[in-house]
Amino acid sequence: MENRPLEYDYTVAKWFMVATILLGLVGMLIGVILAWELAFPAVNTALGQGVAEFTNFSRLRPLHTDAVAYGFTVSGIMATWYYVGQRVLKVSMAESPFLMFIGKLQFILYVIVVAAVVVSLLLGITSSKEYAEFEWPIDIGVVVVWVLWGISIFGLIGIRREKALYISIWYYIAAFLAVAMLYLFNNMEVPTYFVAGVGSIWHSVSMYAGTNDALVQWWFGHNAVAFVFTTPIVAMIYYFLPKESGQAVYSYKLSLLSFWGLMFVYLWAGGHHLLFSTVPDWMQTMGSVFSVVLILPSWGSAINMLLTMKGEWQQVASNPLIKFMVLASTFYMFSTLEGPIQAIKSVNALAHFTDWIIGHVHDGVLGWVAFMIFAALFHMAPRVFKREIYSKSLMNTQFWIQTLGVVLYFTSMWIAGITQGMMWRAHDEFGNLAYSFIDTVTVLHPYYTIRAVGGSLYLLGVFLFAYNMFKTMSGASKEVDESEMQNASPMGA
Amino acid sequence: MNKLMLWGVIFVAAMLGATYMAVGGSKGGMGQDIINQLAVAGAAALVVIAVFVVVKYVRQMQNDTASGELAEENWDGIGEYKNELPTGWAVIFLGLIVWAMWYFIAGYPVNAYSQIGEYNKEVKSHDAKFAAQYANMDHDTLVAMGESVFIVQCAQCHGLAADGIDGKAADLNKRIQEISVKHVVENGSNNLGFAAPMPDRNGLFNMNTNALITDAEIATVASYVSNGMKGDGADIFAGTCAACHGADGKGMPMVAPSIAEFNPELVATVLKHGKKGAIGQMPSFDILNEQQIKAVGAYVTSLSK
Amino acid sequence: MFHWLEKHPFFFAVGVFVTIAFAGLVEVLPNFAEQSRPAIGTKPYSTLELAGRHVYIKNDCNACHSQLIRPFKAETDRYGHYSISGEYAYDRPFLWGSKRTGPDLHRIGNVRTTDWHENHMWDPAGVVPGSVMPAYKWLFKNSADIDTAYAEMVTVNKVFNVPYNKPIPMKDGSTQIVKMAADVTAANAEALADAKVIAASMKNQDVKDAVAAGKIPEIVALIAYLNSLK
Ligand code: HEC
Ligand code: HEC
Ligand code: HEC
Ligand code: HEM
Ligand code: HEM
Ligand SMILES: [Ca+2]
Ligand SMILES: [Ca+2]
Ligand SMILES: [Cu+2]
Repeated sequence: MENRPLEYDYTVAKWFMVATILLGLVGMLIGVILAWELAFPAVNTALGQGVAEFTNFSRLRPLHTDAVAYGFTVSGIMATWYYVGQRVLKVSMAESPFLMFIGKLQFILYVIVVAAVVVSLLLGITSSKEYAEFEWPIDIGVVVVWVLWGISIFGLIGIRREKALYISIWYYIAAFLAVAMLYLFNNMEVPTYFVAGVGSIWHSVSMYAGTNDALVQWWFGHNAVAFVFTTPIVAMIYYFLPKESGQAVYSYKLSLLSFWGLMFVYLWAGGHHLLFSTVPDWMQTMGSVFSVVLILPSWGSAINMLLTMKGEWQQVASNPLIKFMVLASTFYMFSTLEGPIQAIKSVNALAHFTDWIIGHVHDGVLGWVAFMIFAALFHMAPRVFKREIYSKSLMNTQFWIQTLGVVLYFTSMWIAGITQGMMWRAHDEFGNLAYSFIDTVTVLHPYYTIRAVGGSLYLLGVFLFAYNMFKTMSGASKEVDESEMQNASPMGA
Repeated sequence: MNKLMLWGVIFVAAMLGATYMAVGGSKGGMGQDIINQLAVAGAAALVVIAVFVVVKYVRQMQNDTASGELAEENWDGIGEYKNELPTGWAVIFLGLIVWAMWYFIAGYPVNAYSQIGEYNKEVKSHDAKFAAQYANMDHDTLVAMGESVFIVQCAQCHGLAADGIDGKAADLNKRIQEISVKHVVENGSNNLGFAAPMPDRNGLFNMNTNALITDAEIATVASYVSNGMKGDGADIFAGTCAACHGADGKGMPMVAPSIAEFNPELVATVLKHGKKGAIGQMPSFDILNEQQIKAVGAYVTSLSK
Repeated sequence: MFHWLEKHPFFFAVGVFVTIAFAGLVEVLPNFAEQSRPAIGTKPYSTLELAGRHVYIKNDCNACHSQLIRPFKAETDRYGHYSISGEYAYDRPFLWGSKRTGPDLHRIGNVRTTDWHENHMWDPAGVVPGSVMPAYKWLFKNSADIDTAYAEMVTVNKVFNVPYNKPIPMKDGSTQIVKMAADVTAANAEALADAKVIAASMKNQDVKDAVAAGKIPEIVALIAYLNSLK
């Protein structure tokens, strides 16, 4: 066994890759619909007044955030875990029927949970907490799926051949533990049916009230961002960038300090979602101050990756996969500088509640998270399906269209947010408010339109991506042998 | 300057320029509000730092070469250099941790700041700034100020043109609509905190006929009042209504409001008590200060003149 | 030491967990110890108001509307007194929101009335030209879920001691009592009585007919909730 190369089993990875693509399409399609609805409210009823209950902005918005975060992104995380995990631990899923079973079970339950989420959110069954909308029966499903992932992680680690854990594994472990803790505490709720014996069986009421509820929610919400949109994505880049480029990681020490620094600092920063609210002043200050410190451990990883590409400009220029990853780390730097700046109290006084926050969100998720997931899937595809990527030129086109899309998105929202924030604050020469609320809405119309165009471009890129991937999967491209693919992924014209 | 740097500069300039074009002329403006200044400074710092740091690393990709001692370990073919930490990064990280501790414990200790204290200061300085202006404001300025209050606080119901948006609220371009008069005369009214309410039709006695007011009379007087006390019905008005509303309809202090014209006192009364009538219901308003109430009163009065 | 951890995954995981859990404790626990006491004048929601709150949540109004007035002059001028922690004592979940596509609603009950909401929810842009708020016409047809509102009332009363049927101190020194019905049938009857008061100020004939027939359209419950926000 030890003597011949391992036959990795990518069955579960494959399933999750398909899920990533489909949920990415759905989630971002909904995002684009939302964007057009804000620019042109008539879109709310485009499919007729009869179904407007299900197609209007407010019913669809949580579906967008959850479809992209827990659908697209989490599928991407799982797909890469079931790929990267085997390879850097040097064990094959095929060696353990038990872990194979757990992986498959995880996927099946995951799909069931996703279906339940879609149906329940469309019906308006929600607890309203951002990124934690699911009602208690779904929460239970989520916990089971997560526990199964834990078994898979620690199971694979248990039978590993590689003594020391690679950096990516650190980040997967952190993501697993943190999300488990956060999700459990934020979803402490009492199902009302079991206490009162009447009413909807789905309904529950939070264990925490008011300010306390807000505090737990944003302790969760901030770190859900950290441990869904950040650590697992860092896990990906630490594997796929060095692997694809054939370069060694720039500095072990930098990896180490960035990791433990991130673990230590991230949790303290959640207070920046509650600035000037009714939580105690000291907690707000703590959130604000630690957010600024957070730049460094975040940039540590990004710098480490950029320096890994030192002297390799020709690769950046010629390989679209590497382009995606290099741009992803620069967007990671951008959003982890923007976040701390928005966390400074005086800046947040203006930025909070505005579209500038939406801009921050999307330069993170579009430029960093989604780019990294596209790159990961592109790298995995030839090795999983034993075929070269269907088209390199499509990849390049996708890259440029989407880059333009992100730039339009965040620049328009940046200007919209600052404009709106200033108008809300403005007093006129009499000391009265200078603008009525609706003035601050209509002024945003051009920016909402630009954002919708940018988002549509980005979505077009996702369609190109899906097409390219399905062509690759369905065997339209040239067959290749995995053993030939040490580094750069083979791609057709 | 190489091409990359040039692109960086162009991008930064474009972002900052576009932002300036969008918000530079904002009323209340950047110059006076420290929050606006800091936010824009933060936004500017963001693009400048991000762009030039990225330019720095891209140049390393273009010009440098990878070097260092490789660690023994290797995962799926991925190696690791044992390079030292980038010094700038390490120093800033350490410095910031120290700064955070200092900030939290000594710099701006917890008990030295309260957001409510800060708010009270803000309100005080705002009030002080406008006190002199409020003390002697001429009529036209008062009307202009009233319009600015109206647009922010009242237009959602009364419309920008104060026309009541197709009957959803009172049309303030005239004193009162016919249906309102009819409604009040038939049902009475008790919104505005007068000593005694306006009676309903069973309490409205026409002295000319020595009988309770009739349907026909109600219709006539309603049209008379809503036409600004013109046309038929002056006699009915004199016989039935003038006792309280005055012969000219301009009301009597403590007894009944003016129904011939708006005046600032009437508007202030409506704002204080709210109003429920034929058209709908208006809430009372307690978020306006005295000067704003005076001003919006002057503005509403000016509309129907 | 770190390299040792990397070779011993169990201890590695424990190390990560301790690091992240520690900050969590510091951040969350102290405020719980402090407990959020209701402010004077803050009452628990009535059955109809709770049902309206569920309509608000179901339609994710909090996606566009905050319920948190920050202590800035510009905000208190626009929305009224800044928000106080104790005012949220009965809010499960909290509905502060994180985005103001529309205005704050924490004190909307002070500045809008039933008939205005009726017109506005039917066609926002018809009332406020340029509004990007969707029209919520289906609320005028769908019935509110009073049973679930009552179930929540019973639950928070039993589990969290929310004071129903008890005198609540008001700002003017008086007290008020918010009733919790003895059973679900009585709860429906009480909600209907409240609904009738609201429907009386409304113009939509379908809504009036429904209420007359003993049903409570979602819009009526929602307006009851919005009017309670003061
Ligand atoms: C007994 C005194 C009395 C008499 C007689 C009387 N009113 Fe009034 N009227 C009042 C009072 C008091 C109010 C203010 C009611 C309130 O507080 O809402 C009022 C209010 C009104 C209003 C509402 C004004 C508004 O701002 O909406 C109208 C219209 C009106 N009266 C018309 C009439 C007409 C027409 C007659 C005669 C047919 C009449 N009133 C007779 C006392 C009287
Ligand atoms: C929530 C909606 C709403 C708002 C906000 C509102 N109003 Fe009104 N207002 C009404 C309605 C409805 C009426 C008509 C009531 C009736 O007579 O049926 C009215 C009537 C009036 C009247 C006539 C009262 C009378 O005696 O006939 C005045 C004056 C007035 N509003 C002034 C204002 C001013 C000034 C503001 C802002 C500071 C304001 N309103 C804000 C809804 C509103
Ligand atoms: C797409 C965003 C959006 C959604 C979703 C939304 N609103 Fe609005 N809302 C707005 C905007 C923009 C305004 C300001 C313009 C206007 O008054 O229509 C507004 C205004 C309001 C106002 C008036 C506030 C004031 O001070 O004038 C109320 C009340 C309101 N919305 C309630 C709701 C309720 C209840 C829901 C959910 C059932 C909801 N909104 C959903 C965007 C939204
Ligand atoms: C150093 C790292 C970061 C800091 C300090 C930070 C800080 C902030 C701040 C201050 C807000 C606004 C809170 C408000 O006023 O409403 C915010 C919102 C947000 N950020 Fe970040 N951010 C960081 C990195 C990221 C990254 C990398 C992503 C995603 C890829 C991200 C995703 C989000 C999201 C989704 C929100 C919106 C939360 C909501 O719904 O209100 N952030 N962040
Ligand atoms: C085609 C691309 C996309 C478009 C056009 C788009 C559009 C939107 C819109 C219009 C909103 C609502 C903003 C508002 O309420 O004002 C939104 C919110 C959000 N989107 Fe997207 N989106 C896209 C992709 C994504 C992706 C890929 C992710 C995550 C991986 C994502 C995560 C989020 C999050 C977390 C929010 C909530 C932000 C907040 O509450 O602060 N989006 N998006
Ligand atoms: Ca839940
Ligand atoms: Ca949000
Ligand atoms: Cu955060």
